[in-house]
Amino acid sequence: MKDLPPMTRLIATTSALTLCAVSAVAAPAKTDVLTTYANIAEAKYQDSLIAAQTLQSAVNALIANPSDATLNTARAVWIAARVPYQQTEVYRFGNAIVDDWEGKVNAWPLDEGLIDYVDAAYGGPSDENELAALNVIANPSFTLSGETIDASEITPELLAETLHEADGIEANVATGYHAIEFLLWGQDLNGHDAGAGDRPWTDYAQGDDCTGGHCDRRGQYLSAATDLLVSDLEWMATQWAEGGDARVALTENEAAGVGAILTGMGSLSYGEQAGERMRLGLMLNDPEEEHDCFSDNTHNSHYYDGLGIQNVYLGSYTRIDGTPISGASLSDLVTATDPALDAEMKVKLANTMQALGLIKSTAEAGFAYDQMLERGNEGGEALIMGGVNGLVDQTKTIERIVTTLELDQISIEGSDSLDNPNAVFQ
Amino acid sequence: MMRKFALALSICLPAVVSAQDRGQVLADVTEEHILPRFSELSEATFVLSATAKADCTPESSELRAAYHAAFDKWISASHLRFGPSEVDDRAFAQAFWPDTKGFTAKALSGLIASEDTAVETPELFAETSIAGRGFFALEQMMFEPQFSDQGTEVYRCALIRAITTDINSNANAMSEEWKVYAPSLSQPGADSPYRSDDEALQELYKSLVTGLEFTAQTRLGRPMGTFDRPRPKRAEARRSGRSLRHVELSLIALRDLATHLSANHPEISADLNRALEKAILRAQSLDDPTLDGVSSPQGRLRIEALQQSVEDARQIAATRLGPTLGISAGFNSLDGD
Repeated sequence: MKDLPPMTRLIATTSALTLCAVSAVAAPAKTDVLTTYANIAEAKYQDSLIAAQTLQSAVNALIANPSDATLNTARAVWIAARVPYQQTEVYRFGNAIVDDWEGKVNAWPLDEGLIDYVDAAYGGPSDENELAALNVIANPSFTLSGETIDASEITPELLAETLHEADGIEANVATGYHAIEFLLWGQDLNGHDAGAGDRPWTDYAQGDDCTGGHCDRRGQYLSAATDLLVSDLEWMATQWAEGGDARVALTENEAAGVGAILTGMGSLSYGEQAGERMRLGLMLNDPEEEHDCFSDNTHNSHYYDGLGIQNVYLGSYTRIDGTPISGASLSDLVTATDPALDAEMKVKLANTMQALGLIKSTAEAGFAYDQMLERGNEGGEALIMGGVNGLVDQTKTIERIVTTLELDQISIEGSDSLDNPNAVFQ
Repeated sequence: MMRKFALALSICLPAVVSAQDRGQVLADVTEEHILPRFSELSEATFVLSATAKADCTPESSELRAAYHAAFDKWISASHLRFGPSEVDDRAFAQAFWPDTKGFTAKALSGLIASEDTAVETPELFAETSIAGRGFFALEQMMFEPQFSDQGTEVYRCALIRAITTDINSNANAMSEEWKVYAPSLSQPGADSPYRSDDEALQELYKSLVTGLEFTAQTRLGRPMGTFDRPRPKRAEARRSGRSLRHVELSLIALRDLATHLSANHPEISADLNRALEKAILRAQSLDDPTLDGVSSPQGRLRIEALQQSVEDARQIAATRLGPTLGISAGFNSLDGD
């Protein structure tokens, strides 16, 4: 400042005045914006819990009365359960309590050979993971890091405490949606052709009808994993209720709370969804590099991730029973400072939803996500890159909002980000 | 009203004040840091592909020398992952790592087993999986025993030539397009992806912080694993003995970028430089090319010390340089899980 001629200072003052002149709309209180954000979180986790309880009943019916019909019902309710859950993912990166927990319910990608039988082409133990082909369903006893493990009964405790991330390997996913997905669909062996996994219902049949071996243990596994999913979601819904830890942590520092909303939006948009989940699979041309690979539900998984980002910004969510939840929003907060920036954000979020919607509608019309990933498939590449570009583009505007709301240096004050190298505003 | 006015002033002033200095920093980074790196990469990869055309034997000392020289140039430019580096997946195709699920071996085996004819046409080869392209695919073909006798010698040779040709054309495309892209970085505005000096500077600052984070957490952190379970096989480019070299080269490149970015702040510049110098010296005195020492208590201690010194430098960048420049690190590709 001291090096500047007076004229420059005058210009600066003028532009500051201009900036203030547009601040005609009253800004909502940050605390109200945070309340809406927490209310939506609570509603989304409750919806996820309700849907998981429906899944639990369907799984119990499948195990009690294995048939094509009970298996198909369980698959259908699994797909429905993903709708609210994927919309919660925007809460992950901004809220340490969610990020520390989410690996239990939605870890991906997984080395499914840990859990059950796989095709010969899957291979055996790999450089990275000695347990990649452990097959716990077929093995009531096995060795883990030199220790003999008694797995004669497959319990929620065995899955959560011993098997999940065994040997410190993230691909050893023993619990959560994708473990259940594998148990309902099995491997998708169609490569780049249409079609999901095709596990026969007889994998759960008792006696001589049993296929795939160890049907009773498979049922035990499926039941234990579903019970865990329900209890984990129950716990998270409680954290967002009045007085719950997640809600309290969010509101401790208002500016940091608003920063958490944007961190969640930006990290999910960019590094996670655009990068890890969408672009990587395309670059590798690998049909199994899709998020919901067993069920071929990836188009929905991406779509509802995007929708979650959008509805958090707009402060408006519709529950699975149709109840609307809305209130003071981040959008209102941005409008009060810079209406043009708010308009830019809304347009970009809408563009992303249109691009993700195109992937979804095309997949539903029969052009499966794994076909889109095929080498040289230009139409598929254009569809997926449309989503990637939308997400990357909206991240830029999210960064502008961080700057405009002066949240740049927040995490330096809080301790979380310094402890966590993956936090965004280092 | 008065308070609001004062607040607005504090928002607007810093950006205006240093606009001129920022323009200079942006111009210097572009001219002195970015463009030379991509032009050197283009030259070194031309030599690599020409050498492979002359002799594709994996053990050829000429080919190995050209491989090391070109890989060095890539590592020295690889922190600049935006703009033309990102178009058409170029940076990913030059170096796909970490490869947590063994995609590179899988992609190469697939090409060899089917004698995929994509190796005959550069345009078709560029359509294949990024895991079977670039320096890490070449490393496996040249140094990994499992690929020394897979398929026929003729096909392996064609594959090595296809990979090196692809690396070179990729590098050429980056170098050419960086020349075109450079003005939008050094002169932000309505026609540029960067609306202001701040946004352009943020892109560079992000490259610095992400680069340091990648070296500390991924290049060093992955092989370290945990004390009880070190993971030496996860070291980057261990087959050709380059793991530690990548740490050193990346730090040298990042020190240059840090010096440019802190040019107007001598005190921070001196501290950053000192921290990076310390990290570079530690890397140079380590004598553990593949970071194999992670498995022994002694070796591990020294690698931990190196990692800590990189982390110290990152801290200075994140807690002092960023706030002084008035910019945040924004979002980067390491944000996911």
